[in-house]
Amino acid sequence: MPAIIQLKNVTKTYTLGDEVLKALNSVNFSIEPGEFIAITGPSGSGKSTLANIIGGLDRPTEGSVVVDGNDLARVRDSKLSAYRNTHIGFVFQSFNLQGSQTALENVMLPLVFARMRAKDRKARATECLQAVGLGDRLRHRPSQLSGGQRQRVAIARALATKPSIIIADEPTGNLDSARGEEIIKLLKELHDTGITLIIITHDPTIARQAERIVIIRDGRLAERRA
Amino acid sequence: MRFIDYIVMALRNIMRQKLRSALTIFAVVIGATSVTIMLAAVFSLKGFMTKQLEANGTFQQIQVSPQQDIAWGDGGNTGCADCTKLTDELVTKISTQPHVMGVARMVQLGQMQALTYGDQKLRLNQVSAYDTNGILHNNVVAGRDLNAQDKDGVLTITSDYANKLGFKNNYRALVGKSVGLVTQNWYNGVGSDPAKQYKDQMAWFEAHPGQDGRDYTPPSTTLTGTIVGIVDSGFSSFTVRVPLAWARGMSESQTYQVTKADQEAAQAKCRAAHTPCNSQPAPHLVVSDELAKQGYSSLIVKADQSSNANGVAKNIRDKFHVGAADAQTQIKQQLAIFNVLGYILGGIGGIALVVAAVGVINTMVMSILERTREIGVMRAVGARRSTVSRLFTFEAGLLGMLGGVIGLGLGYGVVLIANPIINKQLQTNGVTGSNIITLPLWLIFGVIGLTTLIGLLAGLYPARRAAKLDPVEALHYE
Repeated sequence: MPAIIQLKNVTKTYTLGDEVLKALNSVNFSIEPGEFIAITGPSGSGKSTLANIIGGLDRPTEGSVVVDGNDLARVRDSKLSAYRNTHIGFVFQSFNLQGSQTALENVMLPLVFARMRAKDRKARATECLQAVGLGDRLRHRPSQLSGGQRQRVAIARALATKPSIIIADEPTGNLDSARGEEIIKLLKELHDTGITLIIITHDPTIARQAERIVIIRDGRLAERRA
Repeated sequence: MRFIDYIVMALRNIMRQKLRSALTIFAVVIGATSVTIMLAAVFSLKGFMTKQLEANGTFQQIQVSPQQDIAWGDGGNTGCADCTKLTDELVTKISTQPHVMGVARMVQLGQMQALTYGDQKLRLNQVSAYDTNGILHNNVVAGRDLNAQDKDGVLTITSDYANKLGFKNNYRALVGKSVGLVTQNWYNGVGSDPAKQYKDQMAWFEAHPGQDGRDYTPPSTTLTGTIVGIVDSGFSSFTVRVPLAWARGMSESQTYQVTKADQEAAQAKCRAAHTPCNSQPAPHLVVSDELAKQGYSSLIVKADQSSNANGVAKNIRDKFHVGAADAQTQIKQQLAIFNVLGYILGGIGGIALVVAAVGVINTMVMSILERTREIGVMRAVGARRSTVSRLFTFEAGLLGMLGGVIGLGLGYGVVLIANPIINKQLQTNGVTGSNIITLPLWLIFGVIGLTTLIGLLAGLYPARRAAKLDPVEALHYE
């Protein structure tokens, strides 16, 4: 199977004062359809940077990120945004839900940017919330939900536009272990439906469940097949 | 992102920070209200005055004066060297010019000194007389205007005189009352007693032998007139108007004289009788029509249409070497002051709107700081930079628009309150017209459009800042 995303010699540098930090150093990496990859490594090793570059949220300083023959490092903002909208679903450690909006409205947000009609948006968002087991919490605001439920809303939001890849950056970091396990179980179920799953974690028990573990140390990759 | 979603989202964000949004909008409201009221008042008043003059037929009028370089409303001057006399012959000629509907002759008589009513005595400089042939209209507040049947002894006075005489709010009571017109001392027109004057003068000379006749002061005459109407003062606050027929008599010179012809005739008589001529011949009354000699002060020519007034004025100027100015050109120039006034007042409101714009910028910058994380999320789930930028621009534009709508509403409220007050004022002054301040459609859309535009412009910079945020940093912004 051809790789859906291919990173070639990706380097990302940050400048902090006089100091130049290399978050990623000539990384070569490819993702195939339907994979479950765990990206792990010590904090500050560059694993979030790698996830952000894969997700089109960030651009590499050097190198290319090839998706469907397009280099994400060079496409225009509108194209990159469309890529994030339709191909990628992000799940964050701190949920990043809009506090003033209901679960339903939060899940509808990506569909707004996909120019979907209000009626269809509602239907699709309801469907996604039902899929994560929150069919009875549509009108709740994040403050009325538990941590695990909030992360489920975030996962429903990631699913809304039917992306091919879900990138979860420390999805269990703000949850207790029981809730964390439930979230991982949910993500794995989604993976079973054919979605490519990329989890960034420093928890070896989570990493071990992946088909492929990518370890980053000082911006360089070390890979291990599960 | 769909257009409707921009509106919904922007509106929702405005509602989220109710107090802050309300305060920001409030500043816009102040600007919009002042712009609305000021522009509405100025332009409505201008329109009202123009309509008033149009209805009076003022725009059809051309003022003809003996002097060639004269503006409308300057009044006539019969005494200048290179003046053309405004005679009846000239009036006949002008009446037959194309587009001329009629001519009214006007005279200002300056031989007056006081207006008396009972024991009240008011200053009176001159009497205005005109042809009561329907060309000149006055705004009558009580009684009637002078008409073609009126002759000697009838007059109208202005409301300012009536007020001074103590008839404010009770003009009707003055109608039919008699007033006196006290002339200056040398007056010898109609109503004077030339025989008595001659006798008195002769008596004075006898009593003061060797003295100059210039030291003799004859008494003044008091003419009696009946008030038939009270006329709105308008631009001429203290004026007494009389029919032209009476004015002709007033301007006459009636004197007892021994003319050269009298003396020659007497001497011839003496020679024929062979008797020495020791005694002076008896004087006899000489009446001279001074008005015919000097010409009228001015003429008011009425054109068939206001659009022809300018052409008629030019024609009269060129043909008869007199001054001729149409009211329209002149008044429109004068009314242009209202435009200037409108711009100045509108400008003051404009400054308020600029301040409001700064408020909008401030609010938006603050709002973006608070919503940095939210912007990061929007970007992560697929919002473009341009989408974010547009969203905040819309939000600012909506703040401006809401301010404009509310301001317009408040302005309308003020107009609703102001109109009855103005109506009452107009009524007491006898001016026809009610609810003169209106909000024209262009003003309504203009104000909303302006405040919306100001909002949009104020939103540009904050929106650019929001769009330029790095999504990764924004997502981790605390």
